[in-house]
Formats: sequence, C-alpha cells, structure tokens
Amino acid sequence: MVESWLRGISMYFYMVSASIRAQLQYRYAFIMNILGWAMTYAGTAITMWVLLYSFGTLEGWIFWELIFLFALAVLSWGVCMIFFFHFRSLDQYIVNGTFDRFLVRPIHPFFHFMAMKFDVGAFGQFLFSIVAVALSYSHLNLHWQAWQWLVFLGAVWGGTLIQGGLLVAISAMAFWTTRSERLYWVVMWPAKNLMNYPLTIYPRVIQLLVIFVLPFAFVNYLPALLLLGKTSQTMAPFWGFLSPFVGMIFFWLCFRLWMLGLNRYKSAGS
Amino acid sequence: MGLIEVNHLSKHYQIAKRQEGLGGALRSLFHREYMTKMAVQDISFAVNRGEVVGYIGPNGAGKSTTIKMLTGILVPTSGEIRVNGIIPFKERQKNARQIGVVFGQRTQLWWDLPTIESFELLKQVFEVPDQRYRQNMATFSDILGLGEFLYTPVRQLSLGQRMRADIAASLLHDPVILFLDEPTIGLDVVAKERMRTFIKEINRERGVTVILTTHDMSDIEKLCQRMILIDKGRVMYDGELAKIKERFGKERVLIVDLEGEATDFSIAGAAVIKQEGNRMWLRFSRDEVTASQLINQISEKYEIKDVTIKDPEIDVMIRHIYEKGMDGQADYQQE
Amino acid sequence: MILEVIILGTFKMYGEFSRKSFQRAAAYRFDAWTRIIGNVMFLFMWGFIWYGLYHGKGEVEGVSFQAMLSYILISQALQGLHGAGTPLWEIQERVRTGDIAMEMLRPYDYPTRMLFSDFGSITFYFMTAIVPLYTVLFLVLKPVVPTSFSQGGLFVVSAILGYLIRYCIELTFGLFTFWLVETGGVEDIFYFAISLFSGSVIPLWFFPGWLEQVAGYLPFQGIFFVPNSIFVGQLTGQAVWDALLSQVIWLLICYAILRFVWAKASMKIVIQGG
Repeated sequence: MVESWLRGISMYFYMVSASIRAQLQYRYAFIMNILGWAMTYAGTAITMWVLLYSFGTLEGWIFWELIFLFALAVLSWGVCMIFFFHFRSLDQYIVNGTFDRFLVRPIHPFFHFMAMKFDVGAFGQFLFSIVAVALSYSHLNLHWQAWQWLVFLGAVWGGTLIQGGLLVAISAMAFWTTRSERLYWVVMWPAKNLMNYPLTIYPRVIQLLVIFVLPFAFVNYLPALLLLGKTSQTMAPFWGFLSPFVGMIFFWLCFRLWMLGLNRYKSAGS
Repeated sequence: MGLIEVNHLSKHYQIAKRQEGLGGALRSLFHREYMTKMAVQDISFAVNRGEVVGYIGPNGAGKSTTIKMLTGILVPTSGEIRVNGIIPFKERQKNARQIGVVFGQRTQLWWDLPTIESFELLKQVFEVPDQRYRQNMATFSDILGLGEFLYTPVRQLSLGQRMRADIAASLLHDPVILFLDEPTIGLDVVAKERMRTFIKEINRERGVTVILTTHDMSDIEKLCQRMILIDKGRVMYDGELAKIKERFGKERVLIVDLEGEATDFSIAGAAVIKQEGNRMWLRFSRDEVTASQLINQISEKYEIKDVTIKDPEIDVMIRHIYEKGMDGQADYQQE
Repeated sequence: MILEVIILGTFKMYGEFSRKSFQRAAAYRFDAWTRIIGNVMFLFMWGFIWYGLYHGKGEVEGVSFQAMLSYILISQALQGLHGAGTPLWEIQERVRTGDIAMEMLRPYDYPTRMLFSDFGSITFYFMTAIVPLYTVLFLVLKPVVPTSFSQGGLFVVSAILGYLIRYCIELTFGLFTFWLVETGGVEDIFYFAISLFSGSVIPLWFFPGWLEQVAGYLPFQGIFFVPNSIFVGQLTGQAVWDALLSQVIWLLICYAILRFVWAKASMKIVIQGG
C-alpha cells in the first residue's frame, strides 16, 4: 500500500516535470501567460478601487479588506489551477478519443489525467495574490497570531480542494454530456467572480447555497472574517475554521462523481 | 486453451434519440427517449499464442468496440472475455501490463515533448527495468529507424514517423499481445511496407500475438494467417485467408477482345457477365473448365485479338461476403 | 441605374452572410443558452454590488439607485449582444490558422463580411434571448427608462455607434496577431480597457476626476458609457449631441486605423503568404 503510494507520487513528479518542460518549450508564451494572469487580476483590483472611490465602503468592507478577500480567493485558485485547471478540457479528450489512452495504462486514470498537466501559468496568480495579501496586511495593520496563520493556511488548502473539486465535478459532466469546457466558462467562472465580493451583499438563498451546496464561502469569505477580525450578522465566526475539512469532504464527493462518470464512460463509450 | 478467449460477447449501447426543434431540445433536458444499438452481438472466438489475426469489417461493424472490450476500456453487456487468463474490465490495470495498444489515428505520445521523453515516461509508467528498456530501445531504433527523430517533438513528426514511434512505445514493456487499430491508415506505400515488416518481425522474433483491425486488405494478405470478418456486430467468417480464396477464388474472369462484331456469343462452361463493343467479360470456374480450353473454344468460332485473365481481388471477395454471406453465390463483378 | 444594381447586389451578398450566421446561431442553441446563463449571473452580481454600495444612501453624485439599476441592466443587455459577435480569440485563431489569409482571395471585403456575419448571430441572440429576458426584467424591476421617443431613438443610434466602435477596435487588436507570436498581453490590455474604460460596469461619473478625464480622451467610453447614459437620462440636451458627435469622430478614427492595419496585413499576406 505505502509502496504503491510512493510509486504513484514519484511517477506524478516525473510526469509533472515532463509537463513543465513541455510548457517551457514556448518560453515567451510562458512568461506572457504569467504576466497576463497577474495583469488580469490587477485589472479587477483597479476596478474595485474605482468602485469604492465614490462610495467608500461596500456593506462595511473598505477597499483593502475587499482586496484581501479577493486575493485570498486568487491565492488558492492559483494552487488549484496548477493541479486541476486542465480538467475543464476533459471533453476534448473524450470527443477526439484520446481519453482511451488513460485506460490502457497500469495507473489510476484520475491520477494519470491529473498528472497530464502542471499549469505553470498559475504563477501569475501567486504573483498577484501574494503582493495583494502583503499590501492589504500592512495597510490594514494586521497582526496575526499563530492561530490566524493556521486559518490562513487552512483557507488556502481548503480553497484549493473546493475549487479543484468543482473543476473535477465539471469535468465529470463530460462523461455524460461530452461538454465541460463550456460549463466551466458559463457556470464556474461567473460563480467564482461572485465570490470576490462580501457574501452579505447577496440574498439569503445565495448565501446558504455557497455555504452548504457549493461551499465557495469557505474559500475566502468565512476565513476572511476571522483573519480581518470582522463580524457578520449571518454567520458565526467559527465557520472559518472549517475550510480545510469542508474542502476535503467536498473534494472527495467530487472525486466519487468523477469515478461514477468514468464507470458510465466505460459502459457507454463515447 | 487460447491466449484470448471470447465467449458470447455482446455490447449494447443506449443512444438518446435527438429531438427536433427548440421545444425538443428543451424537452430532452428533462426526458429522453432511448434506442438500443447492438454494437456487438454474441461474438465468440479464441486466439492462440503467436497468431496474427486480422479483425476486419466495414465502418460501424463493431471492430473498435470489440478491441475496446479486449483492452478493458469498455465493459461488455454480456458474455465472457479472458485475455491471458485476465478479465480485462475487472482487472484493467493488470491487463494493461500485458497488452500493447496502438490507435492508428490518435497518438499516445506526449504531443509537445521530444519523442524520447514519451518513451522515458512510459518506461516509468510500466516500470520497465533499465536494462530491458535499453535493449528494447536499441532493437526498435534499429528496425524502425527511430534514431532520426528521437529528439524531435511529437507534433513535428510525419505521420509515418509518428506511427513508428507509437508502435515502439506500445512494445516497450514487452506485452504478450499487441492490439493495432488501423496501424497503416493514412501511410504512404513505403511507410506501410515498413510497418508490415516490423509487425511480422516482432511476431516472429518475440512471439507477440497480434490482433489488428484494418481497411487495407493488403495488410491482411501480407500479415495475417487468419482473419475474423465481422459485420453488424456478428462474426461472418473466422478462418484462414487461403480458404476464402479457395472458396471464392475459383471463379475467374476472362476478358477477350474480338476482331469484329460478336453476335449470339455463347460458350459452354462460361457466362457472359458484361459486354462493351467487341470486348467480352466471361466468368468461369476453375473446376469446370480451364482457361486454355475456353480460349480454344472461342478461337474456333471467333477471331481473338487479345485476352486477359483476372483473379478475383480480395476486396471484392470480402465485399461479396458482406453482401451475400458465406454461402451466397459468387456472382461478383470484377472492375 | 447601374450603380443602383451594383449597390443592391453588394448588399444582397453581404446580407447573405448575415442570413447564414443567423441560421448557424440557431443550430448552436446550446451556446446561446449557456451564454445567457453567464450574462444573467454577471447581471445578478453587479446588481447586488450596486445595491450594497447604495445601501443607506439616497443619491450619490446626483445619481439614484433606480437610475444605476437601469444603467446596469441596459449595460448587461448590450454586453450580451456584443458577446454574440465574433470574439477576439476567434479572430486571433482565424489569423493563426490562415483562414483570414484565405478570405482575402475572395471577391468581398473581409471586415465588412465579418460585420454582417455578426449581425446575423446578434439578431438571433437579440430575438431569442435578450428581448424576452430583459423585457421581463424591466417590467419586474421597474428601473428608469427613456421617457420620450427621441431619447429612445438617440439611445439606439448611440448603441449602434458604440457597437461599431468596439467592432473596429476588436478587429484591429485581432489583426495584431499577424505580427505577434504570442498575443496574451494584447488580449489582456484589450479586455481590461473594454471592461473599465468603456463604463461597462462602472459609469465614468463615479471615477476619480483624473481617471474620468483619461477615460474621456479614450475611444472606449463610446462603446457602453454613452448609450447607457442616454438611456438612463444622465445625458440630456446639448450634451447628448456632443456625446454622439464624439462617438462619430471616434468611429471614424477607429475605422481609419482598422483600414490602415488591414492594408498592412494584406500586404504582409501578399508578400509573405500569411
């Protein structure tokens, strides 16, 4: 058991290094990709700044708090992208038949597919989010205690699993409908954008939805309450501690869905 | 017991009926009507170690479906499969270690990486020992000439080079069985020949059992002792290629060009199947009359300018079996 | 007389492209449905962001929440329509695959042909998605709407001018692909400029003074900000005519640039074969 895990991990790193080398073949594109992502997020941050220029606050959130909320989501999204972003294009593999190759090899197909790409473009996300978190940390005069650093790490870990889980779930749809990329752009991408703003601006139904069904609230909003020392009328502060656990459960469910889809693929073909 | 055993294998698909119009598209979101497509129906055969079997049939006959079930990609609806004692869909990963698979139209190599990197990756994936890897690479480089493009990214390879790389990649882990789905599709004559020579060689030297699907009958003629012919999900013929030739190859066609108009042309033992001006097509059977007898008979009555004898082509025989079945009369036309 | 025939014939030919892409859009209904879902989600988001910003405030910079709601609605509807045209990445793809180079050999003007194709798909999207959806939204939410026919008419003219400005800019950006190996950076600049300076989500009157001035000197404000402002009644009287005039001027400038870049691209294709 331990041996097979170790073998899996070493193989993962081997394949990942191949993927990185493949991306480095296009050196200029590689750099532009990273800068492009960082610029896109900086653009959103500027939009937020303009938005708050005349109004001052959004439901009690000032500009730097808003930036922190946004950057926290981008940080875990960056980690998530590295491992899972290519899941959205599973539909292409299924439609043109290249998915079959994952089934004629002696490794787990999920694992194999996951190892197909290691998206280094996500360093753009890190570039933006680390700078943004650092800036807001100093502007807001935050002094986190040890437990808050743990909450922070827990949020990144949980956020990675939640967003990664959703990408996995969306890719699983390709097993049934042969479509996933489009679903990502019309469902997950707008939904992610929604979470860049404090949850309390939305109606109660949406708040419950992103806490209990698609647990986006655990990606940034709930941990941010703890990290920024804010209170909310609707949620008790301790919810923010739960991110890593919610992440693990959600990811596991999404993984099961993927396996269910794979079984359906194996019995129905494409 | 055969290396591969297939008993009463069937695969049925549920296909959603497409509903027309905007309303139909909406309705199909909630409720769909299905119809069943029988891709493979009650197929049985066994393949022995060291055989090269051609698995052929028209598009949609169920070839790929069968290959997918043998490789563990698809789960059968009913029936049994054993590949070297393993049930592929139950022990897919274990099965994967003993088989090599090449899908002719889609590469299994890493697109953006130099070819050698794909080999290295597969070495890891299949846990090929270093020494064995080196030996195999040396052999394949030798026969397939991989050396000339090992450091070229796969996306820049020609189709012929890519196929050679793909087939070498599928053999790195010394599989017992090699599945080739259209291995020569799209290749030019030289590349095809090279591919066939290689397949023959690894079958002879390493005793690898080969199952290949193809549309190219010369693949079958040059490679396979045996062929399994399927159509509409059923086995139409399973046996030696030579037997088919014997069964349908008895009948040949004599083409004669006559001097002058031929009226009321009739010759015992041959049937006129076509006439174009002074050129006649006569079908005759080897058992009843020889070609020279026939020519003698004709020359007694008419002035012969030229004669040609045509052996039936294998494509034509096969097409005939699809249309009429094994027992049908061999009344095909030569073109 | 002969001229008339030529003009009519030309119009018929380009009209044919519109008809074709209308039918194509109808065949790819899934795309239309998913696009409307995304559009509604963003409308939802911006609606509640502005609701939250206005929370406990009456008027900000002389604009009421009702007017702002109207601004967001009409902006999102227009953005939906713009999105049904050929997106930037597709233009870039066509340049890379050589499709555009091929089209240059045909007996029509490619920029015009693409504009007419876009009309077709936009018309389909307008009729099947935007009109029903936004009619309901306007009836339910009762935001500020144009009070006179002239205001409504001027809005339509301004919206069309805005569309043409964006079309020229987007195609020009797309044509840069002829000279650039990697277009990531160009794409990001384009999307950022379009989303912020066009006033698509934040009206320019909420910008800090200096930024508003910068935006005023750029062509992007003509895309959404001007028509939206006319629609919600923030631009009235002489200001409307001034804004329309600036749109026309920007359109002429953008069109001239597009023509220039197009001519250069054609030269490049002729000389180097794409």
